[in-house]
Amino acid sequence: MAADLTEIKGMIETALPGSTVEVIDETGTGDHLRATVAASQFEGLTRVAQHRLVKAAVKARFDDGTIHALSVKTEVLG
Amino acid sequence: MADAELKQKVEELIAANPVLLFMKGTPEAPRCGFSMRVVQVLDSIDVEYGAIDVLPALQPLREVTTEISDWQTFPQLYVNGELLGGADIVEEMLDSGELAEALGVEQPEAAPAPAGPPAQSPPLQIE
Repeated sequence: MAADLTEIKGMIETALPGSTVEVIDETGTGDHLRATVAASQFEGLTRVAQHRLVKAAVKARFDDGTIHALSVKTEVLG
Repeated sequence: MADAELKQKVEELIAANPVLLFMKGTPEAPRCGFSMRVVQVLDSIDVEYGAIDVLPALQPLREVTTEISDWQTFPQLYVNGELLGGADIVEEMLDSGELAEALGVEQPEAAPAPAGPPAQSPPLQIE
């Protein structure tokens, strides 16, 4: 089943209130997504830690097999 | 629950190698596009690194890195004992100059001239 991009975006926004999130379907198959996330919560964190926050937010959709890959690009929102 | 013996072995390798790449395949023959991208980044910077092919023990190693670094996917680049990131992060850090800084090397020119084979330690094996 293809991922619901709006749901994925919402899961990240819920986990990181105030963030700006863009989710795109990279391959057109609905299971390889790219998320661009700008959040003030990233301040002072390593990139790995920033990515962990994003991936943790959508973990349920990894666990149920909806998403196979999620590329993440993070930005600290000033 | 990760295999304790394998976990200890991995921790020893991370401690013993200042720059260590867990990847699918080898630097000479990457078996995954993301792993290949990190190899290309490291080769563009003049840095010596160890490489471990995770494919022979993919699932056990995934369990180990999940416990060590809370990170499930490969490749994974460790610098001075810490997970720096996968392909996306490493490429981003190359472009920003943070990677050269983390590795303590000069930032390569924008268009690096291929100058002979890069310095590279032989692939490491987990028995």
